[in-house]
Amino acid sequence: MTTIKGLNAGLKRRSVLTGMAAASAAAMIPRRLYAQEQITLRWWSPQSSPEQLAAYRTQIANFEALHTNITVAFERTSDEGYAPQLAAAFASGDVPNVVTHLPSFAVSSYWSNGLVEPFNDVIDMIGADKFYDGVNRIYEIDAGQYAGTSIGNSAANMIWLRKDLMQEAGIDSNPRTWDELLSAMGKLQGGGVYGAALPYGRNSMTSLIFAGVIHQAGGMVFSPELEVAIDSQETRDALEFYRAMREYCPPGATNYSWGDSLTAFVSGASATGIYTGRVLTNVLNQNPGIADHITCDVYPTKSVDIEPWTFNDFPSVFIPKAADNMEATKQFAAFLFDPEGYIEQLHAAPGHVLPVLSSIAEDPTYLANPVIEKYRAEVDLMSTAAANGFNLGWESPEHKPNTNAGEVINSGVIAEMVQRVILNDENVDEVLSDTSRRIEEIAQG
Amino acid sequence: MTSKMLRPIILNVVTWTLVLMISFPLFWMIVTSLKPQTELFRIPPTWLPETVTFEHYWRLLTETPFLRFFRNSVVLATSTTVFVVALGTLGAYSLVRFRFRGRETMAMLVLFTYLLPSVVLIIPLYLMMVWLGISNTLFSLILAHTTFALPYALWLLRSFMEGIPDDLENAALVDGASRLGAFKDVILPQLLPGIISTALFTFILSWNEYLYALVLVNSESVAPLTTGVMTMLISAFNIEWSLLMAASVMMSVPLIIVFAFLQSYLTSGFGAGGVKG
Amino acid sequence: MTTIATDPPRNGPSPLERSYARLGVLLIAPTIVVFSAVIVYPLLAAIYLSVFSIYTPTLEGEFVGADNYVKMLTGGVFWSSLWTTLIWTVGTLSLQIIFGVGLALLLHQNIWFRSLARSLVLFPYFLSTVVAVLVWRWLFNDLYGALNHGMMQAGIIDMPLDWLGSMPNAMIGVILVGAWKYFPFVVIAVLARLQTIPENLYEAARIDGAGPVARFIDVTLPQLKSVLTVIILLRAIWDFKEFDLIFLLTGGGPVTSTQTLSLLVYQEAFGLNRMGQAAAYSVGMMLVMLVFMILYIRRTGKES
Repeated sequence: MTTIKGLNAGLKRRSVLTGMAAASAAAMIPRRLYAQEQITLRWWSPQSSPEQLAAYRTQIANFEALHTNITVAFERTSDEGYAPQLAAAFASGDVPNVVTHLPSFAVSSYWSNGLVEPFNDVIDMIGADKFYDGVNRIYEIDAGQYAGTSIGNSAANMIWLRKDLMQEAGIDSNPRTWDELLSAMGKLQGGGVYGAALPYGRNSMTSLIFAGVIHQAGGMVFSPELEVAIDSQETRDALEFYRAMREYCPPGATNYSWGDSLTAFVSGASATGIYTGRVLTNVLNQNPGIADHITCDVYPTKSVDIEPWTFNDFPSVFIPKAADNMEATKQFAAFLFDPEGYIEQLHAAPGHVLPVLSSIAEDPTYLANPVIEKYRAEVDLMSTAAANGFNLGWESPEHKPNTNAGEVINSGVIAEMVQRVILNDENVDEVLSDTSRRIEEIAQG
Repeated sequence: MTSKMLRPIILNVVTWTLVLMISFPLFWMIVTSLKPQTELFRIPPTWLPETVTFEHYWRLLTETPFLRFFRNSVVLATSTTVFVVALGTLGAYSLVRFRFRGRETMAMLVLFTYLLPSVVLIIPLYLMMVWLGISNTLFSLILAHTTFALPYALWLLRSFMEGIPDDLENAALVDGASRLGAFKDVILPQLLPGIISTALFTFILSWNEYLYALVLVNSESVAPLTTGVMTMLISAFNIEWSLLMAASVMMSVPLIIVFAFLQSYLTSGFGAGGVKG
Repeated sequence: MTTIATDPPRNGPSPLERSYARLGVLLIAPTIVVFSAVIVYPLLAAIYLSVFSIYTPTLEGEFVGADNYVKMLTGGVFWSSLWTTLIWTVGTLSLQIIFGVGLALLLHQNIWFRSLARSLVLFPYFLSTVVAVLVWRWLFNDLYGALNHGMMQAGIIDMPLDWLGSMPNAMIGVILVGAWKYFPFVVIAVLARLQTIPENLYEAARIDGAGPVARFIDVTLPQLKSVLTVIILLRAIWDFKEFDLIFLLTGGGPVTSTQTLSLLVYQEAFGLNRMGQAAAYSVGMMLVMLVFMILYIRRTGKES
């Protein structure tokens, strides 16, 4: 498969570009007389599916063609592995140059410990106006300084619907409020099909989705000043709603996480789903029979006056402060957003990873992907929803960035709260005050 | 008479039923890896694929660095096994057949230091590898694997060696052989099943190890199968099931075949029952 | 334990014995050197970390003395995780030993296609834990899992069971998968030992009129004792520390009913980024294992 050899082959194809670069540098002959030092940049990411790897190789090849003295080495990490690996890397000083696809709260956590290089230069290199509004705000942890930016957006709590099943059940519009959703559940469930596939397992999906439900009830986990605000009437409403949904979910939902929830909808076992745009490719690959009948929308909220709240984990790109060859590193980071390579990266997971640059979202090359073409309406909806999305690290435009969000999620406290109240039927007041106390402890560090 | 004929049949049926029940997941993995993606999550599930396809294997071999990961794993596991068995056999021999001060303490110490969970050991270990200048190399993994396989191998081999009667060795020594000569000619053959089984379990330990490989090694050229395949096919939001099943089958089946061949060494206990009394 | 017969015993070791002793030390020296260098340092580092309050990503923090330990002993979570760990360890270990010895005995006989049977039995141990868990989660799944489907087809149940999401199913599920995954380790070791048991011992017992069960108890078991002792010790330590399997199967849930000490340590270290506290829990874990280990070795040492 493509190894170093492959990259050199790519280089030959790009020799025209190299020639042009050399020609343009001819004016700086004196500089070229000094042998340029060969430097290697290291790029870490936990997202390395075969399609994404192919996209990365293109990006690396293009970059190396423009900078002949730089080699980029892509090194894979993983969602469970990045925490100990980066901890070891930061401690030993042996850090990668660029890290992509980590959730935004990981970045804010590292930033608050002085481990991250400000990203402002890179944003300027890309063109600050090309970004969607507000997509960088979540990274403005200290005023005026950006810890990084998003490399893609994901709208993770879209509600996925089966138009055919809704039609049969006589439901003519997408549910907008909880009451509408619950009544739709009653009509959709039956004949071997469940209403929904929400997660109730002790895992990060439950914590993240439920934090969204709290917002959909009009509440919040932290106040804008980052005091713990989870013990509220809104959270109680959210728990009631989530409990009511449980009977419409398969029995195994008590242990559901991302994969199970996704497959439940894709396989046709549940009439609605809650997921990112990953649903689109999976349906096309695994259950093409329903491909013409799926659509998505923002998740219902408690009442029409509560705005929808989209969860976006803002997969990030940041530069560790201790990275060497900072100049080249920043150029490479900016190059990741260069249209040709960026679009290919987005196409590796169409609908799931959405562009952060509004310029790309309109780009015809981007739109020419079969999945995006077929589901244009859904992708557009997700793009805007995600661009206006939030997560526990930044719950609303009024909120200060929360650098403890990652730890709160990883501790499983919110998922435990859901399980204790809904599965174990414990007293809500006790559980909420307990949960409140534990989150405070974690937030104090 | 009939009960005598019936006994072997019952024995075989019972044994094979258990064996098939235990290896059912293997069957499931193979079947799934041959199904097209559209049949993966059929409800109710199909026991045999409706259409058989080898596309996942083909994709795995041609579009991913699977073969490179495979080679790395083979090198890693083999080297670890060789080191561990060599050091362990010598060490076990020392503990069982020699008398010296602190012998028991040393045996205990070897095991005692291994009681800490790897999660806490891992960062200091990585820092040490960086300091030694071997971070992100296969050698650092071999070293790490050797150190955590060694205590187990030592204790296992020690118990096997204790099962070998001394008379054999004494007889050879009386005949004028040196200590090490006696070891080579007399003990080693007797110990062969023990060595093979220890080698086998060490190999598997190294082959399947995940956490150390995750932290100590990053670059694709050096990654073994565990981290290479897993991080490629499993992420928070998605699992490439078909490729994963194909990869898992390819990771397990060679081991099964190799072990089937090693059977004869395991069973040929040289001199089993050789010494009377 | 055993020595070689040399000259009759004198005062103090003979020159031969002393040179043999030196050889003995030499033989075990490489082992000690290797693991001292690479295990002892991290071990000491971990103990050192446990008296600080460390923020994992930077490994920086301040000295807090015994605070972490106080928290460990007074907060309930250490003890409840310990209890869960004990249930898990005892449950899965017993099954591993019983099935391991049982299958080793069966596979020692002349079965049809014996080599193949042996290889297939070892398959769970060959399989990577991550994949094994994923496959089992798939099999346990209530919608499209083969297990529920098969049981429903056979008429044993008529609605799918929730294997991993509720208690006591979750603990049972975890114990079963653990036993399935690791019992082949016992099979390998016991089978190897069985090969070297002299046939004549069985003959003698048979002549004495002993039936198969009596032969097992009087001939096989004593011969297996030394290997079994070691295997139980090793597997107990290993099961006690087991992380991957439980973490991937249930994540410690439902709520915390399958959260063992290893999961607790991981969560402290990388979930909550409190490396110091995690190190303290690990030291606690180690001490618990140490106590059990010493008791165990004393007991089995006494009997021999």
